[in-house]
Amino acid sequence: GSQSLYAATVEESYTQETISGMVTDQNGVPLPGVNVFIKGTTVGTQTDFDGNYSLDASAGQTLVFSYVGYKTQEMVLGDQDVVDVTMQEDASQLDEIVVMGYTQQTRGDVTGSVASVDISEATKAPIVNAAEALQGRVTGVTVQNDGSPGSSPIVRIRGFGTSNNNNPLYIIDGVQTDDPSILNSINSNDIAQMNVLKDGAAAIYGARASNGVVIITTKGGGYNMAGPSISVDGYVGFARAANLPDLLNPQQHGEMIFQSLRNDGATVTHPQYGSGANPVVPDMIQGVPVDVTVPQGGTDWLDEIFRNAATYNTSLSMENGNEHGKYLLSLNYLKREGIQLETGYERATTRLNSEFKIGDKVRVGEHLNVSFSNTRSNNQVNFALRASPLLPVYDDNGNYTGTYAASAGLSNPENPVAILERASDNYSKSLRLFGDVYASLEILESLNIKTSIGADIQSYDGRFFLPKNPEHSEPRSTNTLTEQDSNNYEWIWTNTINYNNNFGEHSINAVAGMEALSQRGKGKGISRNDYLFESPDFYLLSNGAGAPIIDYAYDGTSTLFSIFGTANYNFAGKYYLSATVRRDESSRFRGDNKSDVFPSFSAGWVISNEDFYPVDALVNRLKLKGSWGELGNQTLPSDNPTINISNLNNQYANYAFSGSGTPTTGAILSQVGNPNLRWETSVTKNIGLNVGMFDDRLDASVEVYEITTKDLITRDNSLISTTAIDAQAPLVNLGSIKNTGVDFSIGYQSQASSDFSYGINLNVSHYKNEVTDLISEFQTGNTGFRGGAITRTSVGKPLSYFYGREVVGIFASEAEVSAAADQGFTTPADGVGRFQYADINNDGVINDEDRTDIGSPHPDFTYGLNLTAEYKGFDMSAFFSGSQGNDIYNYQKVFTDFPLFFDANRSARVLDSFTPDNPNAALPALSATIRNNETNPNSYFVEDGSYLRLKNLQIGYNFADNIVDKLRIQDLRIYVQGTNLFTITGYDGLDPEIGSFDSLTLGVDGNVAGGGLLTVYPVSQLYTLGVNIKL
Amino acid sequence: CNEEFTENPAIGALSDEALQNAQGVDLLLTGAYSALDGVVNNNGGNGFAVSPDNWWFDVMSDDAHKGSTDGDQADLYNLETYTFTPANPYILGRWEALYGGVNRANAVISVIESIEGEDFSEKLAEARFLRGYFNFELQKIFGNPAFISAENYVNSEFNQPNPGPIWDQIEADQQFAIDNLPDIQSEPGRPTSWTAKAFLGKTHLFQKDWQKAFDLLQDVVQNGPYGLNDEFVANFRAGGENSEESVFAIQFAADDGLSYNGNVGGTLNFPNALGWCCGFYVPTQDLVNAYKTGADGLPLLDNYSDTDVANDYGIESDEAFTPESGPLDPRLDYTVGRRGIQYNGYGINPGKEWVRNSFSDISGPYLPKKNVYYAGDDVNMGTGSWGQQHSGVNYNVMRFSGVLLMAAEAAAELDDLDTALDYVNQVRERAKNSTYVQAEDGSPAANYNIETYASFPDKEFAIKAVRFERRLELAMEGHRYFDLARWGPTFMKNVIEEYIANETQTIPNFGPKVSPFKEYMVIMPIPTTAIDLSGNILEQNPQY
Repeated sequence: GSQSLYAATVEESYTQETISGMVTDQNGVPLPGVNVFIKGTTVGTQTDFDGNYSLDASAGQTLVFSYVGYKTQEMVLGDQDVVDVTMQEDASQLDEIVVMGYTQQTRGDVTGSVASVDISEATKAPIVNAAEALQGRVTGVTVQNDGSPGSSPIVRIRGFGTSNNNNPLYIIDGVQTDDPSILNSINSNDIAQMNVLKDGAAAIYGARASNGVVIITTKGGGYNMAGPSISVDGYVGFARAANLPDLLNPQQHGEMIFQSLRNDGATVTHPQYGSGANPVVPDMIQGVPVDVTVPQGGTDWLDEIFRNAATYNTSLSMENGNEHGKYLLSLNYLKREGIQLETGYERATTRLNSEFKIGDKVRVGEHLNVSFSNTRSNNQVNFALRASPLLPVYDDNGNYTGTYAASAGLSNPENPVAILERASDNYSKSLRLFGDVYASLEILESLNIKTSIGADIQSYDGRFFLPKNPEHSEPRSTNTLTEQDSNNYEWIWTNTINYNNNFGEHSINAVAGMEALSQRGKGKGISRNDYLFESPDFYLLSNGAGAPIIDYAYDGTSTLFSIFGTANYNFAGKYYLSATVRRDESSRFRGDNKSDVFPSFSAGWVISNEDFYPVDALVNRLKLKGSWGELGNQTLPSDNPTINISNLNNQYANYAFSGSGTPTTGAILSQVGNPNLRWETSVTKNIGLNVGMFDDRLDASVEVYEITTKDLITRDNSLISTTAIDAQAPLVNLGSIKNTGVDFSIGYQSQASSDFSYGINLNVSHYKNEVTDLISEFQTGNTGFRGGAITRTSVGKPLSYFYGREVVGIFASEAEVSAAADQGFTTPADGVGRFQYADINNDGVINDEDRTDIGSPHPDFTYGLNLTAEYKGFDMSAFFSGSQGNDIYNYQKVFTDFPLFFDANRSARVLDSFTPDNPNAALPALSATIRNNETNPNSYFVEDGSYLRLKNLQIGYNFADNIVDKLRIQDLRIYVQGTNLFTITGYDGLDPEIGSFDSLTLGVDGNVAGGGLLTVYPVSQLYTLGVNIKL
Repeated sequence: CNEEFTENPAIGALSDEALQNAQGVDLLLTGAYSALDGVVNNNGGNGFAVSPDNWWFDVMSDDAHKGSTDGDQADLYNLETYTFTPANPYILGRWEALYGGVNRANAVISVIESIEGEDFSEKLAEARFLRGYFNFELQKIFGNPAFISAENYVNSEFNQPNPGPIWDQIEADQQFAIDNLPDIQSEPGRPTSWTAKAFLGKTHLFQKDWQKAFDLLQDVVQNGPYGLNDEFVANFRAGGENSEESVFAIQFAADDGLSYNGNVGGTLNFPNALGWCCGFYVPTQDLVNAYKTGADGLPLLDNYSDTDVANDYGIESDEAFTPESGPLDPRLDYTVGRRGIQYNGYGINPGKEWVRNSFSDISGPYLPKKNVYYAGDDVNMGTGSWGQQHSGVNYNVMRFSGVLLMAAEAAAELDDLDTALDYVNQVRERAKNSTYVQAEDGSPAANYNIETYASFPDKEFAIKAVRFERRLELAMEGHRYFDLARWGPTFMKNVIEEYIANETQTIPNFGPKVSPFKEYMVIMPIPTTAIDLSGNILEQNPQY
């Protein structure tokens, strides 16, 4: 930057002395570019890169230090000639430097939609994954988290712009990826800044930017620091499951079974509950080969699989720098035991960021992050919900209990505790290195060039042993060892040239560059059966007696080549213009579709800086901004989607023409290509208004946007439908979606001067999602559910609305059955106690034609509220987030409310089943079997998914200086913290925060083969006690 | 950076061009055969539903119960009790598996069409035979399937309407196969022109084109390379696979790790004993009763179920049980596992101990035998966890005794009673001359008594006798439901109603739990997901 000096008009008669000093931030990091001037004069200077300044002044004069993002400080000069100043960050952070990828801007200059996370506030909660810091804290961004250890949250920016990959692009220093798991590899304490580009501002990332861009910059030390700055942070705590549902106890379970049999007109008898008039809970499990005592009151299997799980986290970071170099070194160890037995996540990371000056013109630096993690994930909620309450975990001899024989009437879930404990030697270890090396050269004062090579290298090693389970009624006859490994490499080479200059009141900042990116993923999984010993010492693939099986193997590459440019112009701090253009060429497409150009424009007008604007207005800052941009999405689940791919495949393609012996090798088509595939493009329009009041202590912004995405890429399952070849459906350009929405935020920060200060931050987001064009009449979501797809997508409606029959009530009498549309009951009596479905097409018959739109997974709005307060040494922060007006399809109820597994346990909801005495029941009459299609998609399963959750509450205490000084440290803070302390919701499921990886199947709570949905997991509460020390 | 930087090949993939040659045709043709086992990629329905042995259609007939407890495989329970809906995943599973096969055959047909200057007519005939087979299965199960041509395949136009039967297209494929397949194949899994002829005969039989059916089937009987094995049981033993009786068999093989080429869809259908699991697909009392014979060694065509063959329903294994002493067809004990009789070389069946269901479930006291590999037939024993139940026992889609009985049926319908009698008696003669299941002392395990018919007095009797013989000979081989269906909706309804009444005398909970069979159930509904994914181009079958 330029070091323009204020003209010194020396006309004072005082004795002038040369005053010098250093300006640092709260962490002792030198601040370059701080304006220093003598109050009431035009004499001034700026600090240099090392934070040093010097100017001539006289005693009694007042030095004013001002810098964007920091509070202005005044110092009255005495007789000293060295004045060092520590700048305090300005709470409003209005003028902070925002890292926007290839460029930086101060917040006040930003004309696009760029949201920043208050990192210090967000990282107060004990987060594992940096994406968790976004949750509820940034307007227009939703984050959903699977409760299982080590999983990656799902981040969605401004609704659902695509039916394909909705992951935003993450940029971590020099590394780009749309793989959200990379955020698991970062120590959140290392993050300096986290910004989200939501609109055309993202266009600088062209073909990868349509889902938004999350830019993370890490801390890096500072030049000319007085000494090393060392922080130690740590917490310990524990997590536990909350909101566990009520299941039946043995007596209720027996009564449910007897009532079901009675209703069916069947003989009322049960291997455990006897044949009497009423069920009798046995003392011992009947009809099994071992002695099993039935526990008093039965077993709550959910209690058995969950535990109070310990959490530890320790971080150490050191920053320092002299005039020739600077660095940050950090270390972090995190252990998060899972709330289910034998699950957990353990991670160690280290980061080294450094930069060196070579002469005055050249800087060379690097970021390097190394992380090693072990994930042990397992989820046995489904079995725990189904396991018989009669069975204890262990039999009388201390072995695991099981269901032994189907005739024992214990259904057939495996013992969930046995599964968890037997998996204790499994692991998924991952070593990940990423970072970049760069060099920059200052050609002229206003012209810089930079080259950077980033890399992301990931190596994965998984081992899974599946032992025998002799107590199970469907025991495995052999054990299996599975070994998996994969290696992913990405490199990215970026060259930019940056021009930055001021001409009077005109200021220009322009960047041009080129970038090449290459990703390669390679991996395999191998299994082998029949191990003599079930001990980890023996787990080598070579020790199995069965033939080795190659479960899968893959090797794929994709590349992207881009050129880009951006220019920002600003006149007198009033008028702002930005233009960006990027051309991308992707290996995933063919011919003319390989490359495209993505432009964007934005403009801003700071009304409050106009001469006509009253200086003393209540609104001290008023800014209007607008943007338009075109963005792309070339992220696909296939590296070669344009060609037909056939494979040799020993599972699906071979045939033994002689009925035995080695099968003959065959080939099958495994993927249908689409040579005409184009990438998705989004056009985003954004208009925003920023308002600052009370000296910017109140900060409000509202943004209105429209995002139109055309050529949505998705697999077209209606093209490769059930009458087609058994290959993966081609990726096609499916249609168009329009998202319109409003992001609103308001924050107030009280004056910091008094003992008591407080802050409030509220953000609210609303979007409306509408499909405007589709290549077929409709598309179904995942078809793997009982009764087929639950969701459907069609023109004029939002993505993935729920589609099924509408339950209008429960038939209470034969007369009601006879009067209603024909539901296929043999006699009217058969219909009593069953669901009555609406006759949507009014043809007098209920069938598949009577399915209709029965709910939407899209919320009316989502919100986050952060409250902070400080009093003397104490600080408090409370963070709420919520969602309003979305529906959830509680598919889990198929298993917990209906006799899919008759002898299995059920939700306590079945106590409210229809009987002639209870005609207004919630559930239809009990039966041993599923009647009247009641588990097929219907409105019984659709629930209001609104919730309000206290995500985080923290109370801290900063020890006073006298104590801190005695300990010879700079700062000491301790805190207690609770996560997810309460949730207000009417939703019956384990957790109303439902995520999905499949945009055509949104809002469905339940596991299903074929994937795309998060696993069902209860809310986990975390309580921690932590300490922050600065040495 | 230039053009090359953004060109990346698909590693490990075969491109369309790479397959446009003789080797490519062979690879894709083998891939089409591989779909015969029903296991295909991306199948959305129930994985147990896909087996080509059509075991669960026996469960929907009077031959078998689902087995295991009622709540186990609730979707199959709905099928057996006639409370199924179009969304039942069994129905979808079989549908998708068969269309996977149709289109793998189409892939071969289209790649052959794209290669110029080489004669692939035999390969093409194999592919069209396979397509004919898959389409025949679709036709008999769904009544109104969509026909997907090779042109549709090439153009990815898979959503074709289903306006009615596709018999013409099936016949065209089978005729092409007759005209272009060799008379002898070096590998037994491949069809010959004789195989194709027998299948075309069956196609005509299903359409009641009795004369066309008879002409083809009689040609196969008289001039074809087939004959009956000496031993009835050889059809289900490793040593008898691909014998002269096998006209066309799914070549199940039980090797390579997880036994990918075993009968994966039949995994559940093993006793719940001897280290196996699951106890599905168990014969009915009604079927066992059908094997009763009179003093003349002939079946009791009209009153076989008046009294039950003695059974151990409701009797624990440690309680006494006296087996049936009356005369029985010896094929019973090669078809049905019952208490007190040797079970496929694994010892004497102890009854309840090996049966999975309880006495309150709808399934009875019996076990399946034909699909369970025999002790010592290790070549048919699968590997892997449940994979050991991925049996290598070949499934005979058509065996020569079936050809004889189809020819006999056509003859009877054409009033050629002598030929009908001759063919039925050939089947019975072989059963009579086979080795009978033995007790531990080497004597016959039961009072076996079987004789040939002296004559068929009239056409009506002949038809009845042929149909009954078909049940006895081919029980638990996946044919019964389709035979009943083609004999007519009313006929089937009557049979099922009588069966439900008979069966309820043994299993009291059966009747109360079963809903009435409806005539429209002679064909399955088009799966809900199929209609949805077709964009409603497919139309539902009547009354579903």
